[in-house]
Amino acid sequence: MVEKTKKKSRVFNYFCEEDQFAGGVAWCSGCPLELTARFVPKVLGKNVVFVGTPGCAAPVLHGQNVGAWHRLAYMASVMTGVPSKATGLSRYYRRIGQDATVVCFTGDGCATDVGFQPLSGAAERGEHIIYLAYDNEGYMNTGNQRSSATPLGAATTTTPVGKIGRGKTTVSKNMPLVMLMHRPAYMATATLSHLEDFAKKLVKAKEKVKEGFVYLHVFSPCPVGWRINSNMSIEVCRTAVRTNYFPLWEAEDGKPRFTVEIANPKPVAELTKLMRKFSHLKEDGLAELQKAVDERYALVKNLCDAYK
Amino acid sequence: MKAKKGQVRVITGNAVGAYGAMVCRPEVVAAYPITPQSEIAELLSQFKADGVLDAEYVEVEGENSAMNVVLAASIAGARVFTATSSYGLVFMYDALQETSGFRAPVVMVNANRETPGIHAVSSGQQDMISARDTGWVQIVVENDQEILDQTIMAYRLAEDYDIQLPVMVNYDGFYLSYLAEAVEIPNIEDVDEFLAPLKQQPERQKLVPGVSIGCGTHGMEMGYVEARYKHCMALERVKNKVDEIDKAFGDYFGRSYGGQIEEYRTEGAEIIVLASGSAAGTVRTVVDTKREEGVKVGMVKLRLFRPFPAERLIKALKGKKAIGVIDRSLCFGWKYGPICMELKTLAVNIGAIPILSYIDGLANLDINVPHIERVIDEVNAAAQGKPYQEVTWIPMEE
Repeated sequence: MVEKTKKKSRVFNYFCEEDQFAGGVAWCSGCPLELTARFVPKVLGKNVVFVGTPGCAAPVLHGQNVGAWHRLAYMASVMTGVPSKATGLSRYYRRIGQDATVVCFTGDGCATDVGFQPLSGAAERGEHIIYLAYDNEGYMNTGNQRSSATPLGAATTTTPVGKIGRGKTTVSKNMPLVMLMHRPAYMATATLSHLEDFAKKLVKAKEKVKEGFVYLHVFSPCPVGWRINSNMSIEVCRTAVRTNYFPLWEAEDGKPRFTVEIANPKPVAELTKLMRKFSHLKEDGLAELQKAVDERYALVKNLCDAYK
Repeated sequence: MKAKKGQVRVITGNAVGAYGAMVCRPEVVAAYPITPQSEIAELLSQFKADGVLDAEYVEVEGENSAMNVVLAASIAGARVFTATSSYGLVFMYDALQETSGFRAPVVMVNANRETPGIHAVSSGQQDMISARDTGWVQIVVENDQEILDQTIMAYRLAEDYDIQLPVMVNYDGFYLSYLAEAVEIPNIEDVDEFLAPLKQQPERQKLVPGVSIGCGTHGMEMGYVEARYKHCMALERVKNKVDEIDKAFGDYFGRSYGGQIEEYRTEGAEIIVLASGSAAGTVRTVVDTKREEGVKVGMVKLRLFRPFPAERLIKALKGKKAIGVIDRSLCFGWKYGPICMELKTLAVNIGAIPILSYIDGLANLDINVPHIERVIDEVNAAAQGKPYQEVTWIPMEE
């Protein structure tokens, strides 16, 4: 009788460090944030120091009193101080020769809105820190308010749909491009449906942070705020990539390139139908969103082509 | 053992701030320029460029980041320094509270300046006063030499194992920022020696990679209460520690300032003028003149503003007949000046005597000799039982 052995996917080769988190942590069911938080030290190793903020990650990362759900060295911060605190840590650890990977772990609200100034400052100074923004397109921990990462047309509690209101009226801030313009040592977009791609980018991040600033933008659907089923979050990630809504690309030493190219991108309606935050959009609304997606993709593509 | 004589140089208060930091060998410095502090940010950069300051110098994009950088570096184990003023201090507001809440022994020099609302590029203590509830230790100094000496003492205080709190050294912006005085800069080895007792103490908790340790946890119920209680108790311990360190500094360097407060000719005095900052120098002169005229007046210089030196003040002021308090700032929502308002909480211990509040020296207006003479005359009259005005805005009545 031939023993059946299931061949492990290559992706396992990357996630070989010890899991630093306890089982059964207090994140919402179906939230990709838990996997993201677990994966980072599983690739980068246990000398990761997280700097986090109030937000979706805080309930688990901050801990309560002297209790914790993870074994990492951790510093909590107000939303205005994350990259600056990481700067202070990284500068001192490097000075004394302490092996450490300092990782800012914040949501899009901190990265694109209230905490943007110090992020821009740290990137410009070329600090040796990795900034990971998990993008759930709004202030999800406080109950689904809009941030500048909220997409055009999306319904949130501060861009509600009503007799007149049709959701957010402006496109989201194109944060990966904004950060590319800072010329970091490395920047990349990633999401959980493309795990090997994500892992390779984390490996690169660890290497390139020795040279300077690293920015990672991770697409992270929110089952509660976006109103999707909790078993659908990875599928939403995949569809976002396949519609070019969230293209996967990176820039090493300022040179952008796609890491995943979609041969026949699907219309964005394939993505919006998976969630209810766009359910009020009619044909014209969807057409506008499609236009915004196409425009944004073309911009990145032109940049990538220029460096081919 | 005594320190060797240091190098005497004629330098501005800002330069003194930079030298004060440099001789304490900070490992991480972050600063953002602001009038009237900018010279400190420039000089520290120059020290680094000249190789006399071996520190990580972070040229941040704002004051909020300056505080966050030094806070985190301090938690990682570094000796740190930053300097700011006014709008910069206001912009640090959230970070100030985190720094004290995390019990980070950060030392900061603040050149006092008026705060936003009315754009005033001028001196005043409003910035320091507005930061009083951030949990920091706040000390006010009078002259250039005191800026330097107090900065050195601030490290000994902040990093003390029983204290572990951030310390803000305040001096009057513009007045002292740009005033060049002869200052003795101690030899760096002597400063090492003065700060050496810190090395004999247990090592403070540090954030080390690979070690399961958190900083800034959610304080839930008693977890929150306990941390706040310990913070407040540490602030209480600061008072005596300030006196001890001042004495040790005097023994070693030959200069001391009275610790929490300085009492000047308070013995045999019936009335007292309570002042702080650079104005104290002028008050001292007027007290001398008035004493020659037979007025039994003395001065108390407030050095420690947070924690408020209640016990020392009660001891110095008990039995006096009247007190005049000169405030260089406002207490919005109270008619008295802020230091006067705080002093009034001690009235039950001092006695039911007239306490006269004077608002003066706002926006670079001088607290000059005629003003102080007026204060002393009015306080003296109040001590004789004559009617008096509770609050006087001196510039408005001129």
